[in-house]
This record gives sequence, C-alpha cells and structure tokens, in this order.
Amino acid sequence: MNGLERILAAVRFQPTDRVPFVPQLFGYAAIAAGFRLADYLHDGQLLAECQLRSRETLGSDAVFAFTDFSIEAEALGARLEYYDAQYPDIVVPVLQPQEDAGRLAPPDPASAGRLPQVLHAVGLMRAAVGESCCVAGAITGPMTLATQLYGTETALFIAVDDPERFERALDLATATALSFGAAQLAAGAHAMVVFDPAASPAVAPADFFRTRLQPRLARLVAGLRAAGAQIVWLNVAGPTAPILSLYAEIGVDIATFDYYVDAAAAQRLLPRTCLAGNLKSLDFLLPEAAPRIGAQASALIQAFSTRGGFILSSGCEIPPESAAAAVSALAHAAGAKAGTCRS
Amino acid sequence: MVNAGPVPPASPANGFSLLIAALLAGDHAAALAETRQLRALGVPPEQIVTAGLEVAMGRLDEKCTVEQFNLLEIMLVGRAVSVVVHELYPEGIQPEKGRATFVIATLEGDVHDLGKNIVRTVLLGKGFRVVDLGRDCPVDALAAAAEREQARAVLVSGLISTVVPQVRRVRAALRARGLDHVAVVAGGAALKQLAPADLDVDYVAETAFDGARYLENLLAAEEAAA
Ligand code: B12
Repeated sequence: MNGLERILAAVRFQPTDRVPFVPQLFGYAAIAAGFRLADYLHDGQLLAECQLRSRETLGSDAVFAFTDFSIEAEALGARLEYYDAQYPDIVVPVLQPQEDAGRLAPPDPASAGRLPQVLHAVGLMRAAVGESCCVAGAITGPMTLATQLYGTETALFIAVDDPERFERALDLATATALSFGAAQLAAGAHAMVVFDPAASPAVAPADFFRTRLQPRLARLVAGLRAAGAQIVWLNVAGPTAPILSLYAEIGVDIATFDYYVDAAAAQRLLPRTCLAGNLKSLDFLLPEAAPRIGAQASALIQAFSTRGGFILSSGCEIPPESAAAAVSALAHAAGAKAGTCRS
Repeated sequence: MVNAGPVPPASPANGFSLLIAALLAGDHAAALAETRQLRALGVPPEQIVTAGLEVAMGRLDEKCTVEQFNLLEIMLVGRAVSVVVHELYPEGIQPEKGRATFVIATLEGDVHDLGKNIVRTVLLGKGFRVVDLGRDCPVDALAAAAEREQARAVLVSGLISTVVPQVRRVRAALRARGLDHVAVVAGGAALKQLAPADLDVDYVAETAFDGARYLENLLAAEEAAA
C-alpha cells in the first residue's frame, strides 16, 4: 500500500498493511533541513522540498502545504513580523475594534500575499508524489481567522457584546477558507486540513461551537468536497471532548484528538469517523522522551487495532525545534520505512 | 439632584450579594454601580475585595472544572473585576494593601496572553498585588521586576514551545539577583505539558485557579511557620 491508499483505507475503516502515520510536521521540516522558518514560509519551492525530504526521511504518509495560521489574515491586510526559528505573529490586525468585516472580500488566492506560494508548493508536491502519497492542503478555520481579524481578546468581547458583527467576521472567514481551499484543491491537493485552534473549548464554549461554528464548518466541508477534496480533516487541538461528537454531522473524514481526550473516549464520541492523534506535542522537545513516545504510540495502535479508522499522529503540531530522536521514535512505532513514498 | 442609579441596597450585606451576582454575571456596569453604592455606605475598599471579589472568585473557581471551563464567561467576569479594582484603586493596589506581590508575564517571542490575563484577574480578585509585564517579556526584565517590586513569586505563562528554554533560565536570573526565595510558577497550554523538573520551576499549574491555590497554600504555610 502507498501513503494515499493507506489514509483512504483508514478513512473507510478498511484494513491497512501498517498503521497510517501522519505526524504534524510543518516548520520542523525546514528547521531539520537547516533553513530559516521565515524563508520556508515565503517560498513555495523551499516548502515543497523540505516537506518531501522530511517524508523521505521518516516514511510518513502525507506532506503538508501548511505555512502558519496568519497567512490568510496577512492576505486580508494584517501586518506580520517574521522570525528565523519561530512562526510569525500579527503586529497590526486587519480590523480596528469598531470596524465591520462586512466591508472586506475574501483575498484572491492567485495574487494575495503568500497564498500563491502555497498553491505553488501544492503543485510541486503533487507533481513529485503523484498518487503515491497524500498531498494535504491547509486552511485556517472560521473561528481562528475571525478572531485574528481583530486580535483574539477584542474579537471575543465583540462576540459577546455585538454577536451579529461577529457573525459577519465568521462569514468572511468561512468564505476565505473555502476560496483558498478550493484553489489548493485545483492546484493538486488530495486532502484539505481545516486548522481551527480557536474553535477549541479552551477558547470557544461548546454551545458557541454548536450554534455559530458547526453550521459554518458544515458548509465549508460541503464546499471543499464539491471542489474535489477526497479527504477533509478537521484539526482542533486542546480539550475537545465536548465538541468531538459534532464532527460527524459536520461531515469530516478525519478528526484530530489531542492528549486531553483518551483513545477510548474519542472512539465513543466518534464511532464512525477516522481519528488522528493523540501524542503530546511538547514531548517531542525532549530527546529523552523517545522511549515514552514509542511506548505510547504502540499503546495507541493497540487501542485501535480492532476498530481501525486510525492515523498515528500528534494531538497538535510537533514543534519546529523538536528532537529528531523523538520524532523518529514515532516513525519507528508505526513501522514506517524511510524512502518508501516515491511515485 | 435626582439619583438615577439603581435602588440603594438596604444594607452592605445586600450590596455584597448584588455585587457578587453582578460580577458572576459578567455585568461590569452593574458591578461598578454596586461598588459605588457600597463605597457610599462607607464600606472600605479592602472589605469590598475580601467580601465581594474574593467570594465571587471562589464561586467561579468551583464552577470552572475542566469540563465546565468557559473562557467567554471568565473573560466577562475578568472585565468586571478589573473595572471594580480600578474603581477601588485608581492608582493601582499599593504593596502594603495587597496580600503579597506577584509579577507575571509571557516570555519573549510569545504573544499569547489570554491565559495570563485570567491569572492576573483571579489573583487581583483574591486581593493580591499583581505586576503585569505583558507579553513578549525578556527573562531579565522579569527578574528585575521581581527585585524592584519585592515579589513573592514570578509567574510565567507559556503557550508556544519556543519559550521553554527561557523558562528554564528564570531561576538562574533570579538567583543572580539574590532572589533565591522567590517562587517560580509556570502555566499555559504549552508549559503545562511539562513537569516542574523539566522547566526548573516550583510548580506547573493546570489552571489559573489551581495556580492561585498553590500560591495561597505557599503563603499560608509561611505565615504558619512565622
Ligand atoms: C488564542 C490563540 C492564539 C492567539 C493569541 C491571542 C492572545 N492575545 O492570547 C493568536 C492568534 C495571536 C495566536 C498566535 C499564534 N499561535 Co496560538 N493559539 C491560540 C489558541 C487557539 C488558544 C490559546 C488560549 O488563549 N487559550 C485560552 C487560555 C485561557 O488558556 P491558557 O492560556 O492555557 O490559560 C489557562 C491555564 O493554562 C492557566 N494559565 C495560563 N498561563 C498561566 C500561568 C500561570 C502562572 C498559571 C498559574 C496559570 C496559567 O490559566 C488559564 C485559565 O485556567 C491555541 C490553541 C488551543 N486550542 O489551545 C493556539 C496555540 C497555542 N497557538 C499556537 C501557535 C503555533 C501560534 C502561532 C505561532 C501561529 C502562527 N503564526 O502560525 C502564533 C504565535 C505567535 C507568537 N509568537 O506567540 C499553537 C502552539 C503550538 C506549540 N506547540 O507551540 C497552538 C497550540 C495552536 C495549535 N497548533 O493548534 N494564537
């Protein structure tokens, strides 16, 4: 089986030759190859090369065209500050506290900010791997982008004090995600990962998720599918137990679960949805954690052995500066072999 | 002059329950009005903190289990608490009035501060003096502030992995200033994945309330020993 077949089989709860192995390695691919993160995030070709190299080294089943959570906000007009070894942050948000997102239109993926670099990376990766491995595009989800437009704290107060204005921010964010996602699918992505960290109950209460976010996520997923996505993956970190069961109605193929939710609980909450998780991301900073990571990964594989519908992964991003030994321990537990994913 | 405000409470006791209810409802306008009523009845600021804010914080703590955590609700309570504290102490809480001083920050390169702000409000609500150095704060500035403010503890909030090496330097930066007695407490979604020994801190808090309890116990143990 190749990487794409393995992931598709897991999504359909069919048997696989080994557990699908999709570590959330993004900026790590640049740092491990000796590049500055700021360069990786600006240069689609460099991003593609680093992702392909990382997959070649570890034998993972997917490559990611993910840059950072601020890329869409930047394309909408936010000003970012970049660093050598860490992700950028927003220094000037898109909107002032009193402004309305209704005056904005989704940015053009072919020309706005760094969005074209992502499309370039998707195209290069797809050309390199063909159908042998999953090329995953990435978009920032509605809640995360809506809160980035104003800055999180301001946005959350608007959500309470002026809910209708916040709904317009959510609608703009949903439209932006759909248009950028569709462009990545057109450029060759097999799968689309919707990263919506701010939709986590760590930030948005579960009933807020149900009433404001779930309908928009469902619309987004349907739109991505209509645009050709073979796989839609909803990736929300943190204590998601109160919202996981809603993912089935949203219609996602793969759901991330973080270390806060154990395997048995995740299976109970999403009996028919492929789950990806749930190693603790900060453990990967510690080279001495390698044996523990290996043991936890084996236990996870065991916990899903009869049910299937599982992808071995971390519950959140594996940090860029992680220890190579810790990352290898995960690959080892999956039984992944380096250099096995070429077309 | 016609008083257009709320009907005056019959007694301070009634005023306190109205204040606590307003705080827990996150209604900052009502909380401010009740605070002004209590002041007009001659209730001193310290008592408004201990019998009003602290009680409200205690109730919030009981409500905020991991399953029931509601950031929006906590932020609204936080906004109301800040408005009341500002009304009571427009110049900020003075060291001798607060129970102890803590300095808090998120470290250089980390711009997450929602969690830090909640910790600050919870501690303010419990009557402590909190010096907030904001986000993106260098370790040396944190240690310097601990010295200047005679802090009992420094509190670091960390949401991204890149701050871990800086957290490990906090203790040494304090020692370099002879501040061996200052406790170091860490929290936040990234740091709480690690053990105190990994970070060289005294305690890693799961939540803001958990951290506040640790600090209260620390001070209580010291008082008992003294
Ligand atoms: C909101 C948010 C943001 C907002 C922050 C707004 C703000 N003003 O704080 C914005 C949009 C700016 C942001 C930016 C980024 N973020 Co961010 N963000 C989050 C998010 C969604 C929620 C964090 C949060 O505020 N939680 C709510 C608060 C209340 O929780 P908390 O901080 O844990 O605090 C509680 C307790 O821990 C405790 N506590 C906290 N601190 C302390 C301290 C002490 C002493 C004590 C006692 C207690 C305590 O008190 C609170 C109540 O109990 C998380 C994802 C998630 N689901 O957790 C990602 C997350 C933290 N971000 C992440 C990343 C990667 C980034 C960016 C790099 C994104 C990018 N550009 O691509 C930038 C980083 C910029 C920078 N240099 O810092 C990652 C971190 C990954 C990692 N392992 O390092 C996360 C986990 C998202 C993910 N990958 O899924 N982010």
